[in-house]
Amino acid sequence: MKVAYYPGCATHGFARDIDVATKKVAEVLGLELVEVEDWNCCGGGFLDEKDEVAFVSINLRNLSTVERMGMKKMVTPCSVCLHSARKSEVVYKEDKYLRREVDSRLRGTQVSYKGEATAEHLVWVLLRDVGLERLKAQVKKPLKGLRVGAYYGCQMLRPQKYLGFEEPSRPKSMEQLIAVTGATPVTFSQATSCCGFPLLGSNEYMGLKLAYKVLEGAKHAGADLMAHPCSLCHLQLDMTQEKVRYTFKLQWRLPALYIAQLIGLSFGFSPDELQVPKGVTEVLESKGLA
Amino acid sequence: MEKLSYDAVVVGGGLAGLMTAYVVASSGFKVAVISKVFPTRSHSAAAEGGIAAYIPGNSDPNDDPDYMTYDTVKGGDYLVDQDAAELLSQKSGEIVNLMERWGALFNRQPDGRVAVRYFGGQTYPRTRFVGDKTGMALLHTTFEQTSGLGVDFYNEWFALDLVKDGEAIRGVVAMEMKSMNPYLFQSRAVVLATGGMGMMYKHTTNSYINTGDGYAMALRVGASIKDPEFVQFHPTALYPSDILISEAARGEGGVLRNNKGERFMTKYAPHKLDLAPRDVVSRAIITEIREGRGFPGGYVHLDLTHLGENYIKERLSLAIEAAENFAGVNPINEPIPVRPAQHYYMGGVDVDTNGANPEMPGLFAAGEVACVSVHGANRLGSNSLLETLVFGRETGYTVVEFLKRTGERSSSVQEEAERIVKEAYQFVKSESGVHFGEIQETMREIMWDKVGVFRDEEGLKEAISKLRELRSGVSKMYVRDRSKVYNTEFFNALELRNMMDLAVVISRAALDRKESRGAHYRNDYPKRDDVNWLKHTLAYLRGENVEIAYKPVRITRWKPEERVY
Amino acid sequence: MEAGGKGVLKMVEQREVKVRVKRFDTEKGNWWAEYKLVVDWYTPMTEVLRRIKVEIDPTLSYRAACHMGVCGSCSMKINGKPRLACKTRAIELLNQTGDEEIVVEPMDYFPTVKDLVVDMSDFYSRMFKVKPRLHPAREVMEGKAEHRLKPEDQRTLWKFGQCIWCGLCVSACPAIEDQDFLGPAAQAKGFRFLADPRDTLTEERAKLLIDSAWRCTYCYQCFEVCPRDIEPVEAVKKTRAMSSLYKGRSEVVRVGVRHSEAVAESIASTGKIMEALVYTKGYGASQAVKDMIFLLASGRGKYLLVKETSVKNIEEVKKIVGGAT
Repeated sequence: MKVAYYPGCATHGFARDIDVATKKVAEVLGLELVEVEDWNCCGGGFLDEKDEVAFVSINLRNLSTVERMGMKKMVTPCSVCLHSARKSEVVYKEDKYLRREVDSRLRGTQVSYKGEATAEHLVWVLLRDVGLERLKAQVKKPLKGLRVGAYYGCQMLRPQKYLGFEEPSRPKSMEQLIAVTGATPVTFSQATSCCGFPLLGSNEYMGLKLAYKVLEGAKHAGADLMAHPCSLCHLQLDMTQEKVRYTFKLQWRLPALYIAQLIGLSFGFSPDELQVPKGVTEVLESKGLA
Repeated sequence: MEKLSYDAVVVGGGLAGLMTAYVVASSGFKVAVISKVFPTRSHSAAAEGGIAAYIPGNSDPNDDPDYMTYDTVKGGDYLVDQDAAELLSQKSGEIVNLMERWGALFNRQPDGRVAVRYFGGQTYPRTRFVGDKTGMALLHTTFEQTSGLGVDFYNEWFALDLVKDGEAIRGVVAMEMKSMNPYLFQSRAVVLATGGMGMMYKHTTNSYINTGDGYAMALRVGASIKDPEFVQFHPTALYPSDILISEAARGEGGVLRNNKGERFMTKYAPHKLDLAPRDVVSRAIITEIREGRGFPGGYVHLDLTHLGENYIKERLSLAIEAAENFAGVNPINEPIPVRPAQHYYMGGVDVDTNGANPEMPGLFAAGEVACVSVHGANRLGSNSLLETLVFGRETGYTVVEFLKRTGERSSSVQEEAERIVKEAYQFVKSESGVHFGEIQETMREIMWDKVGVFRDEEGLKEAISKLRELRSGVSKMYVRDRSKVYNTEFFNALELRNMMDLAVVISRAALDRKESRGAHYRNDYPKRDDVNWLKHTLAYLRGENVEIAYKPVRITRWKPEERVY
Repeated sequence: MEAGGKGVLKMVEQREVKVRVKRFDTEKGNWWAEYKLVVDWYTPMTEVLRRIKVEIDPTLSYRAACHMGVCGSCSMKINGKPRLACKTRAIELLNQTGDEEIVVEPMDYFPTVKDLVVDMSDFYSRMFKVKPRLHPAREVMEGKAEHRLKPEDQRTLWKFGQCIWCGLCVSACPAIEDQDFLGPAAQAKGFRFLADPRDTLTEERAKLLIDSAWRCTYCYQCFEVCPRDIEPVEAVKKTRAMSSLYKGRSEVVRVGVRHSEAVAESIASTGKIMEALVYTKGYGASQAVKDMIFLLASGRGKYLLVKETSVKNIEEVKKIVGGAT
């Protein structure tokens, strides 16, 4: 199966390990990822607070390219990129006044979005298009005994109007993917709470506090590791965990890894091949899974 | 019991109550608003289609306040006090302009002026609207402005009874619902603005809180209810939830069809068709259903499918929402199932055009609870929102004048207040018995079946006898909930007491009026009888008995004609 | 079976449902009560509660009035989700969640008074804090002048102005514990007035609303739970876009605006967000140097060296984003 692949700025930046893991897992599953030609930033969840028209327009630029490439599905590993694209699709279709302004902004460019291409999350494609059976067939090294917190974050779930894959208050996708690797999914109450990343842009302390609550929730529920579906959660929960630990004086570290990394481990890739985050290897070793 | 002193107390925090409070407080008087819910929850919020107004410079060039008055008088089947209707029309433009200045977000014409549309019974279009949530928009706007004024709001306080001293009203006793503590609100003026009584009927578009509290309080203190037999049934309540589908749906071109797909209103109102007054359309629908041309379950179709998706979305979004959420129907491509339900009460506390009760100094009323009478035997759509604001304001002015010329009375009413609290607790003091729900559901069935759209002597007599029996059962009610915090069962029981007091009055007045006029239709007296019945009913409740008197209708310029649509 | 065209309504599916309600009173504290009822396709939760009260247990306390989603009384948590009871149909809920029973609880965040009735004072005080009333010019208020409103303005303002004060968004908001954050409802209500060209309190409103707007975490809970589709988070975004109205900036506004500008600049010049640069621009070089320590401790220092390529057709991106910088 061939799909357009949209990594996003973080996935090609500080969360490059997500790009590595996603590509490895996709290859094993026979999912051909074709990178969107000359893709631009989705706005990062911030551009629309400055200029809504620009925000929608740049997202349509990517989707228009996907259509030109002859494809309909644009798969992304990053929830924020997903959210930005899908929001743009919906508001462009429904808000005729905004559409007029966007069309005007796009005049003179090569962008011409027909409404056929749509953005999808890697998680959705794995579950719906690849399927749990095919995933299971590739598991060479079941991660038995590993307790993994099933974290969703916000942007892949809310609002249903833009996303719509699963009910935001009762999601199941992460638990399903974690279970297929042989690990034990740990459901915890902060699973759909915000990791706080967007607040890094203005009110850092509060952002750190939200991350702390999520990590603490998973830890308290008995998780050894936490798996999540978003490049920006990756930055917040892994990269920024050091700052969170410092700010809230945490004695423990709960490694947070991207779902494709977890899946990759179960497929038999080594932690180094998947460039897993700090602390993951040690946890695997302690469970005899390294 | 603790005492609170105010110049004026307004009972009810809906549009009429807030408007009155605004006017009185703006004149420098100390005002309290007592509401059993937070004001924005008031039933005014449910009004959908709009507010009628003649605005000079922004109305159909052929329109005129006199046309508006005429439409109102004819719509009310000539029971309307014509000076009241004239006042309503004349002040309508002013009131809408006021709301607009206060920030109400009326739909606009391209040049920025307030837009307009047709409503039932109108000769020219004059209804102004905010999508189809006009009531909610106006209620919020009025609350926003009033809450900025220094009026004391007692929200989630339940008014028990009015306090009378001799013949003058001295205040009201109310309980804080959270603490269950009673307080005496002593004031020189009390304005009842407690809204309608739809919960008395099995099928109503009204909120759960519309339990006729004000009417009962007035009756218990010896004031009369004027025209109690006139209950409006709205033709298009969604089946089966009874949620209102605004008349605006018909105003924007929606059409009623029976199970043969026929536009049956051609038979009942050849000129106005689906936009005939509500009583005409309600009777038409019930007749179609009774004669086998309705759908199983008892409803007909309201067809909007020919209006187009964009138009419906822009003008009638609430109708789409209601139809989809509550009946599983998408009005853009399917007809909506509708049937009549109780909707408005034309009857009410007897007041003059100025909002004052003519017999009891200190007692005022505005809004649905009042009977001015501006609607007569049937209310036109978009006149109710107008009424609350116009007469809310007039009543406010009247109260101001009253306060300026009335001094404080020195005698204590503490004893009377204690008596009121004791009485309220008395009838729920039993340790066992029947709980309010049983009595209430039976009452609602009786009212719907026998004091509903079509009435006759046998049915009414049966209703009266059954209701009397139920009413005596009320004194043996028992409240299982012993909670001393926010005990809703206790308040529900008090609401039932209020509804029963009004029920016996309505059924008796309906039996007495041997004619059909507007919303009051007698199978046994199907014609209007101006010779004997061109008069207002006044009903008093003295203990077990309902006493009936009459009062002339004030006719200025429009002589009664045959009411054809 | 589908609805109505030929007058055949949805299957009048009757089903017995089990309803578990989290009760509370000041003497007993919390306890769970269970009720069984037969409902059909149409039965909304307000009707379920009413029937419990009238037929089974009259001691159950809850708020409900309009039963059509305009008064905001019946906010509660049903099967874990903040909703209006009147807009939630019993059977639809069970079909949606796949549960066997309906669990009804009071809304989160607000203290419980009795059963499903919560104390809304916190919510009301937030709303009143934003002075939720139009302050037109004096001449307009006195009726001496007219200030018309354009149809497009009416549309935008009405979108955010139709809040029914139900409190669901506040109950679901994770940023609400920040004392200086007004919360989604108040932001939306405040924006309705901030953006109204007829209002004269703009400066005062800007100060309060803009500072608060930069404290939202964009989690979209408010968008998801709002029963009137107001999308409060969009009001927050639009408020942030008006930051230039607030002259004396507070810390969060300063950082937020700088960060936002840095994002736009980065996209305009490279087509992508170069994170290190953007973060530095937002928080300043000295803060960025301090945070280097955490970056290195996390083991992601190696990615600093990876240079992402800019967009080739940068002219096109510049044209699109150009106006933003």
